[in-house]
Amino acid sequence: MTGSGPHGRIIKADVDKAQPASPQAKAAAAAPASAPAAAAAPREHKSLEQMGIAPGSYDLIPLDGMRKTVARRMTDSFRDVPHFPLTIDIEIDELLAARAKINGLLEKTGVKVSVNDIVMKACAVALMKVPEANASYSPEGIAMHHHADIAMAVAIPGGLITPIIRKAETKGLAQIATEAKDLAARARDKKLKPEEFQGGTFSVSNLGMFGIRTFASILNEPQGCILSVGAGEKRPVVKGDQIVIANVMSVTLTCDHRVVDGAVGARFLAAFKEMLEEPLRMIV
Amino acid sequence: MADAFDVIVIGSGPGGYVTAIRASQLGLRTAIVERSELGGICLNWGCIPTKALLKSGEVYEQLDHLKDYGLAVEKKAFDFDAVVKRSRKVAAQLNSGVAFLMKKHKIEVVEGFAKLEKGSPAPTVVVGDRKLTAKHVIVATGARARTIPAIGLEPDGERIWTYREALVPKAAPKTLVVIGSGAIGMEFASFYRALGSEVTVVEMMPRILPVEDEEVSKAAHKSFEKRGIRFRVPASVKKLSKTAKGVALEIEAAGKAETLEADVCIVAVGIVGNVEDMGLEALGVKIDRTHIVTDSHGGTGVPGLYAIGDVAGPPWLAHKASHEGVHCVEHIAGLKPTNLTSPIPGCTYTTPQVASVGLTEAQAKEQGLDPKVGRFPFRVNGKAIAAGETDGFIKTVFDGRTGALIGAHMIGHEVTEMVQGFAIAMTLEATEAELQATVFPHPTMSEAMHESALDAYGKALHI
Repeated sequence: MTGSGPHGRIIKADVDKAQPASPQAKAAAAAPASAPAAAAAPREHKSLEQMGIAPGSYDLIPLDGMRKTVARRMTDSFRDVPHFPLTIDIEIDELLAARAKINGLLEKTGVKVSVNDIVMKACAVALMKVPEANASYSPEGIAMHHHADIAMAVAIPGGLITPIIRKAETKGLAQIATEAKDLAARARDKKLKPEEFQGGTFSVSNLGMFGIRTFASILNEPQGCILSVGAGEKRPVVKGDQIVIANVMSVTLTCDHRVVDGAVGARFLAAFKEMLEEPLRMIV
Repeated sequence: MADAFDVIVIGSGPGGYVTAIRASQLGLRTAIVERSELGGICLNWGCIPTKALLKSGEVYEQLDHLKDYGLAVEKKAFDFDAVVKRSRKVAAQLNSGVAFLMKKHKIEVVEGFAKLEKGSPAPTVVVGDRKLTAKHVIVATGARARTIPAIGLEPDGERIWTYREALVPKAAPKTLVVIGSGAIGMEFASFYRALGSEVTVVEMMPRILPVEDEEVSKAAHKSFEKRGIRFRVPASVKKLSKTAKGVALEIEAAGKAETLEADVCIVAVGIVGNVEDMGLEALGVKIDRTHIVTDSHGGTGVPGLYAIGDVAGPPWLAHKASHEGVHCVEHIAGLKPTNLTSPIPGCTYTTPQVASVGLTEAQAKEQGLDPKVGRFPFRVNGKAIAAGETDGFIKTVFDGRTGALIGAHMIGHEVTEMVQGFAIAMTLEATEAELQATVFPHPTMSEAMHESALDAYGKALHI
């Protein structure tokens, strides 16, 4: 529930307006002044047995802090944020060639730039071109972020975490690659400081390495968008009247419709696609 | 266009002038139209000058009790002209204060009577031979005393008064009859009684101060009777006529006809909105029983035309007008006005004073709220005893299910200065828990507020 009172405070009007989903929520709504927070109580939970899973037929792993946080944040986000996906195909032959060239130049430094690093850089530059996509909804207004702080989803044992490349629009590919590698390594060792994974303005999640073609991520509140990157693969592409083979990657942008409308999301994706298909654009 | 404004406010009472200041603060080019005095009725003929008179009355009446305080005075007397003069001086000071505020905020003051003509995006405001246009026009023309000429309830400037004449009399009447026991009627009854007039108050409703909580009404009735004010309640007024020496009021009370004779009669039988002769009907403004019908932001339904304050309906209170005006103009400026429910307190500055906010116990019951009620009398409050002001009590009403404070009612010395505490609590949606957990300073009369909240849950400490 979001509060419509001063400084986002939940007030009686919010509770009265909320549609109680369960008997508990109804009871909470009936007692708005004394227990307003109860209206947002979790839905009634049935035990696994009640749902037909026989006891003893499974091992129960206790919920640790991270699992609880993931569960809560994803549930809140998926339930409360009006979200929609936009998918676009991107030809990445030029991108792959550019990457090979860049990595050739960087050989001596030991830095290796991944496709994901380039994706993050392209996101940052595209966000500067379409700043409406670099935004967060709040009851007080729309926060238009000054910088593209790109959060990258990193799978770690027992869950995932999203360390952040700050001000990615100001950083070169080599720096982004270096930072990303360091953040991912420390994320796996659970050595990130809170400020390193809290407060991004845009997220990138990549499941390409698992062969996933397209998927739509759940928004990482309060960010207005998250980009889901699929596998780059050879696909038949129609060019003129010819079917040719090209390396193609599909990406899906999940948008918070309260801040990012369809047209804004589409403009962001167009800018993003243009950059990946012609990587030189990133530096002009 | 030289005369194009962002906002034109019509009427400079506490609704209008505050609206104009807020508009100017928000960067809107603002004009205010006033047909008589800046500050409207409130400053010039209402709230403020009556408070000045009442203070004189209160001090004078207090002299009767000097012995209680171990004091003595040889001879008490008053100079009625000086009492009235002081009241006018106070009004004049505030009137020039408003003029200063208008200047400070660069608000153009247009003197004259405003008429409205069709226009776009808002109606055109015509004052004399000037045509003023604006994006938004806010009507804040206020209200005036209701008169009923058919039965003689109409001021004659001599023996039959409304609040206006009652503020600037040549002398205090020996005998006075007041029709209507609302705040205005009771304040004048209280003032003139303090200066020694024989006062009788006639009320049509079953009890005096009929909008107040029943217990407060009853206590007020008793206190006023103790001060020598007489009542005819309930009584219907048949006819008011002038006699050779004064007035004769024919009433019917308890099935019996009676004629009350007095030097002067004050008519305080309600309020009518100032909606006439402005061209409102021609614009299609909806008017319901002399008041402009508005939405929650003051919109009238006519593009660019708004109404706030008394002219937009009850309660007819200055602070309600200011609040509505600020809300309206912030909405116009595109700000998101708060959606807090702000209850509007009401105050009556009689001796003793009466103040309240929110629902009465009876209203709470009518709404099916199963109220929990607390009471605490000043007679056991240390500060009240020390000050010799033990008359009255504080009553609080809570929603029995949620504990939310839904009403507070008080009678006693300076209770009008305390009621804001409960107004804040209600705006914050406080429950008995917050009020009980609040630390009230000792020794103060406000401790009775705390005790009343405790008493509603059987936890009062000093009784």
